[in-house]
Amino acid sequence: MLRKEQNDLLTQTGPGTPMGQMFRLSWQPALLAEELPENECPQVRVKLLGERLLAWRDTQGNYALTDEFCAHRGVSLWFGRNEHNGLRCPYHGWKYDHTGQCTEVPSEPSESGFCQKIKLKSYPLVERGGVLWTYMGPPEKQPPLPEWEFAMVPGSHSFMSKRLQESNWLQAMEGGIDSSHVSFLHSGELNSDPLFKGSKGNTYNMADMKPVFEVVESPGGLYIGARRNAENGNYYWRVTQYVMPAFTMIPPRADHPVHGHFWVPIDDENCWAWSFDYKVTRPLSEKERKAMEAGQGIHVAYVPGTYIPTANKTNDYLVDRKAQKEGRTYSGVFGIAMQDASLQESMGPIVDRTKENLVSTDNGIIMARHRLLRALKTMEKGDTPPGIVAEHQRVRSAAVVLPPDKHFKDAAKEALVVQTGKEHVTV
Amino acid sequence: MQSESARMSSAAEARYRIDAPNSKPRSVKVIALDHPSERVIEDLAQRKWNNASFFTASAFGGTPLKGDSFAGWLSDLAGRTKNLIEEVNSADLVVMVATAGESAQAASIIGEACSVKRVMTTALVLGGQSISDEALSKTLSHLRPWALMLVIASAEEYIADMLAALRA
Repeated sequence: MLRKEQNDLLTQTGPGTPMGQMFRLSWQPALLAEELPENECPQVRVKLLGERLLAWRDTQGNYALTDEFCAHRGVSLWFGRNEHNGLRCPYHGWKYDHTGQCTEVPSEPSESGFCQKIKLKSYPLVERGGVLWTYMGPPEKQPPLPEWEFAMVPGSHSFMSKRLQESNWLQAMEGGIDSSHVSFLHSGELNSDPLFKGSKGNTYNMADMKPVFEVVESPGGLYIGARRNAENGNYYWRVTQYVMPAFTMIPPRADHPVHGHFWVPIDDENCWAWSFDYKVTRPLSEKERKAMEAGQGIHVAYVPGTYIPTANKTNDYLVDRKAQKEGRTYSGVFGIAMQDASLQESMGPIVDRTKENLVSTDNGIIMARHRLLRALKTMEKGDTPPGIVAEHQRVRSAAVVLPPDKHFKDAAKEALVVQTGKEHVTV
Repeated sequence: MQSESARMSSAAEARYRIDAPNSKPRSVKVIALDHPSERVIEDLAQRKWNNASFFTASAFGGTPLKGDSFAGWLSDLAGRTKNLIEEVNSADLVVMVATAGESAQAASIIGEACSVKRVMTTALVLGGQSISDEALSKTLSHLRPWALMLVIASAEEYIADMLAALRA
């Protein structure tokens, strides 16, 4: 459980909040590059960390992320005209460049320089790895661009999707580090999903339904090791990475692409669940890419023209009680992502953690909260929170079989950081 | 018409959640396995807890000979000898606290008692950042067979946070 004030501290991410400040100090995925496919394409509404913004791309190809509303009368610039290196408000013709600087106020004499006095709030927007990243913190603290491995491999080696999740970011993220639910909620998928099945690790997973967990602090967050029995007295370890505030990487299975998530607050009651898959040394096969596009693995199928999952709260997640009874899905909901999302959304927009009853196997969640709260405290004193520097981002999850006397953090030391040109260590 | 899931997961509906206790206090026994951990436990014991009690096994290092009784394998913080089996019997969770690099051999005795009584065990290792991997591995090798959950924490404060999170 958390006290109410702790829960508020961790779940509120709007401007001026401590947790919001932590998010604002690192680059966050704002939208997919495919959402702004060409110069002067239609602008896109973006809500991030409780701020209404507009993403657009000007005539020269500059990406822009600016205040959604015109400084004149508060009109949404979503209705604006993207023309000649700027976005023009359709109401009275005020025009802005990609930095948010007003460049024309037609009703004022151009010689007056009035437009120079008008500037919309704007944030940098940069493409890397098929994602448009933004930094919403103080300019003097802007870190170098993110170095997450999936964003550094060639485009043919990776796949990224996002889906709307109608819950606070923290309860979504906590699902990403809650390894003990996999053997229950996702048990149907381990042997059927094309992006999961066929791994020897799956047999260890299903043979030992009571994994033993080890939680170890890492420089950027946590390693969460789940230990199961393997042959000859050895242990099968699955090591999940959590990097603060909201990055999780799931351990690999056989030669399948490796996947993970970012959980980025839209506002306090909604978040974007970003889901990536990648391989280091080879492009994704056509079959893998098609499966991801079809919503398999950790991805979802969409309501056409949106990033809203086809199975969502408005249709009761297409729950299939017969499939549940027959054991084809554990909860009656199909697909790993929506199995998680349906349960996390059912908790309510912001779960009341004063009422929960955590148990010992929830130590990954307890430690993540502890580290976040600790980082918020030191951030108050001016310290930089974990997760911002490249060293914290150049991490990997791993699946490995080790002798019983080996500590996974040491025995798999190399496997837990990026090894250029080498694949993840996997079973 | 809105689906049931859409309606019931709204913030408005959250107001109708039953506001009554949904659990009884759990009995958590926290045991220091070595002298440095004992100091941490003593500090923790000063705080207010629902149903946590604090012990040390540091005075009973080494492994008892086969057939030895488990009685007397614990002492409370005032130095009074306690019966391990009796304490485990009344526990919902046993938390063993060890310092990295120190002997955690007492974990086998406590762990065995918990195993017999089917009581959940958690081990917390402090100070893992400041010692060699080898020394840490040695401490872990004592704990691993007996801890169903193992945490290596850099801050002592984590134990308090964990106990609070578990409603101890």
